Amino acid sequence: MSKTGKMSRRQFTKLAGKSALLATAAATFPAPFVKGAEPITLTHWSWLSASDAEVWGKMIANFNAANTDVQLKLELVPDDQYDTKLLAAAAAGQAPDFGWGTAGQRAQWAKDGVIIPLDDLATKVGLDLSDFSALPMKKARYPKYDNKLFMIPMDLMSLQPEVNLDHVKEAGLDPEKFPTDGDSLLEWAKAMTKRDGDKVTRSGIMMTGSGVQPTVTWGIVAAQMGFQRASDDFKTACVNPDAGKAAMQWVLDLFDKWKVSTRDVTNRYKAFGTGQGSIFWTGPWTLNGYVQQKLNFRTYLFPKIGQTLYTYFEMGGMELYVQSDTSRYEVTMKAVKWLSDNGFLWTTQGRGASPRLSTLARPDYKTSGHDWSVRGAFVDGMAFATEGEIPVLAGPDFTIYAGDNFLAKTLETVWAGQKSIDTAMSEIQAKWQSDLDAG
Amino acid sequence: MTALELPGAERKPPIDWAGYVFVAFFTIPFLAFNVAPLIFGAGLAFTKWGIFGKPQWIGLQNFSDMLHDEWVGIAFKNTALYGLIIVPGVVVFGLACALYVHQRWPLAGLARTLFFSPNVVSGTVIGLVWTWLLDTQYGLVNHYLGLLGISAIPWLTSPRWALFGVSIASVWWDLGLAFVLFLAALQDLPKELYEAADVDGANRWQRLRLVILPQLRPVISMVATLQMISSLRIFTQVYVMADGGPAGSTTSVVFYMYQTGIQRQLFGYASAVAMSLFVLILVMTFIMRRFVRER
Repeated sequence: MSKTGKMSRRQFTKLAGKSALLATAAATFPAPFVKGAEPITLTHWSWLSASDAEVWGKMIANFNAANTDVQLKLELVPDDQYDTKLLAAAAAGQAPDFGWGTAGQRAQWAKDGVIIPLDDLATKVGLDLSDFSALPMKKARYPKYDNKLFMIPMDLMSLQPEVNLDHVKEAGLDPEKFPTDGDSLLEWAKAMTKRDGDKVTRSGIMMTGSGVQPTVTWGIVAAQMGFQRASDDFKTACVNPDAGKAAMQWVLDLFDKWKVSTRDVTNRYKAFGTGQGSIFWTGPWTLNGYVQQKLNFRTYLFPKIGQTLYTYFEMGGMELYVQSDTSRYEVTMKAVKWLSDNGFLWTTQGRGASPRLSTLARPDYKTSGHDWSVRGAFVDGMAFATEGEIPVLAGPDFTIYAGDNFLAKTLETVWAGQKSIDTAMSEIQAKWQSDLDAG
Repeated sequence: MTALELPGAERKPPIDWAGYVFVAFFTIPFLAFNVAPLIFGAGLAFTKWGIFGKPQWIGLQNFSDMLHDEWVGIAFKNTALYGLIIVPGVVVFGLACALYVHQRWPLAGLARTLFFSPNVVSGTVIGLVWTWLLDTQYGLVNHYLGLLGISAIPWLTSPRWALFGVSIASVWWDLGLAFVLFLAALQDLPKELYEAADVDGANRWQRLRLVILPQLRPVISMVATLQMISSLRIFTQVYVMADGGPAGSTTSVVFYMYQTGIQRQLFGYASAVAMSLFVLILVMTFIMRRFVRER
C-alpha cells in the first residue's frame, strides 16, 4: 500500500475475494445447535391468519414466559404457500422445528420423511396419549404408513351454522327453535332472505358463487344423502354417485330455485360480519373475530338435510419436521407437550373442541372463554363431524373444505352452469379413482 | 531483453481485474437469479419433481399431459383474451390521455399527474381497490351505473364478466407508462408537420390520422409489444381480485403455473407450462413487430 493510503487493484481484488468468502462461509455454516446456558430457540411455522391467530400468539407468548430454557420463534407463512416453502426448507435442511398441520393431508410427507413419527417421542417426554379421545388419535395416523402417529392434535373442528339473531328477530322466528331438517332450514332461509325484485340482496343462507363455501356445502349434503368420496378400504371412489348428484342439485337450487343465496358475494366472512347473510355454516376459527366486533349471533347444530346427520370435520395439530440435528426432536416434543397440556385457552377462545379428555372434563370448560351459545355447537357437534380428509397420497384432491383444488374447480363449472351435473360427477369419479389407484 | 523475447514482439497489456470485480456485482446475481433458474426451469419441464427428493426424468410427458389438461386450454384462452382487451385498451386510452395533456386542454397539469399515478401503485393495492369498486352489491361502479338506470353488473362474480372486470383494473394500472411514452413522442414531433397540415387545410381528425399517428408508429409498436408481454404474464390482479375464478374464467397462464407449482408442488408440470408461455411470448412478439413494423 502506498504512503497516500490508496489501495492497489490487486489489493482491492484480494480484499473483495476474502469478503465474499467470509460472507459465503457465514451463510453456509451457521452456528451449531448447542444445549447449554443460552436458551434454545425453536422455530415454529404457522399459517393461522383468521381471528384465531391472535389467540395462538398468546399461547406462544405464554410458553415463552413459562420456559426460560427454550424459546419459540413464531413465523407466519401464508397457507397457500405453506407446503411449498416447508418442502423447500426441508430439502435445504433448514425446516422449522414444528408447525401447524391438518390431519389426513400429509400422507405424501409421511412417505417422504418430511414429517417424523411421534409415538416414541411422545412417550419419551411423557405426553399422555391415553388422555386423547379416540377420534383424534385415529385421524393423526396414516394407516398406509405403519399407522404411526404423525401429529399431536390441538383442536377438533366442525362446520356448524352461525346465525344472525337480529335477522331471526326481524323475521319473527324463534331463536330457540332452529331447524333440525332440510325443509325447515329452507323455511328459515326464505324468511330471512331479502330481495330486490328477483335479485337476492341478503342471503338467507350465506353462499358464494365459487370457492370454498359451495364446495364444502356440497360435501356435507352429499355425505348426508349417502355419498362417499372413497370406500372404507380406499379402493373405490364415489360410492353412490347419485347422492352426490342430488347434493349438487341442492346447492344449485339455493341460488336458482329457492333463491335464498346469491352468487354475488365474494368475501363470505366479511359478508356475514356486515349482515349480508343470515345463516353461515363455518368453523370455530371465526368466533374470536365476530365476538370482538360484537355481532349478535348464535351457533346451532347443523341440520339433517339428507338421511343421516353429518358435518365437516377438521383436526389441527402440531407436526415435527425432519432435522439434520436429530437432538432437536426431543426438545421440540417437550415444547409441543407444553402447548398440548396448556391448550385450555386455545380450545376455549381460539378454536374447536379439545382433543384432551382431561380438558373436556374440567368443570370450567363450558364457562370459560367465549360464551357457550356461540361456542357450544362446535363442541357438541363433534358427535357427528365425520367428513374429514381421505388419508391417501392425493388427499388434497378429495378435500371438501377447499376453494381451488380439483374438486372445487370442477364443481365451480356446475355452479356457473358450464357443465352438467352428470359430466362433473363423471370427471370427479374418474380423477378420484385414479388417485386411489395411485395409493 | 531476455533471450526468449523476440525482437519486435509486443507485450500484452495487463488484464484489469478490478473491472471484472465491479461488473461481478451485477453479473453474478444476474447469472445466479435469472439465467440459472431459467436453465433449471427449462430442464425441469422434462421431469417430475415436488421439491423434496430428486427430479425424475420423464421426457415429454409433461407436455403430453398439457394437451389433455382442459385447464391449460382455458388458461391460454383467457390469457389471449386479456391480451386482446388490455393491449388495445392501454394503447387507445394511453394515446388519448397523452393527446389531452399535449393539447394543453383544461387541467392538463393535474391530468398529467393523475394519468401517471396508478403506475406507481403496487398491483396488490390496485387489485384490492378495484375489487371494492367492482363489488356487485356494494361497489361504487355499480352504484353510479344504478343512478343511470343500469342494473348491477356482476363484474367479478360471473364467469361472463369477471375477465372483463380484471382487465379494466389492468388497463387502469398500465395506462401510466403508455401515457408517458406517447406524451414524450408527441412532444418530439416537429412543429413544421402541424404547420404544413394546417396550410393544406387538414381538420383535427385528418391531422391525427394522417400526421400524428404515422409519426407515432414506432412508439405504438413499442407500447403494444411491451403491453402484450405484460398482459401475457398477468398474475397479481387475477390472484387478488378473483383468485382465478369463478369457474376458472379469470385464470391466466401464470396463475395456473402458480397453482400447479406453488400450491400443488407439481414443479415439472408448471415448468412445462412456463416454457410453453415463453415460446408463445416469443412468437407473439415476432408477429406484433411484423404487424406494426417500426420505420
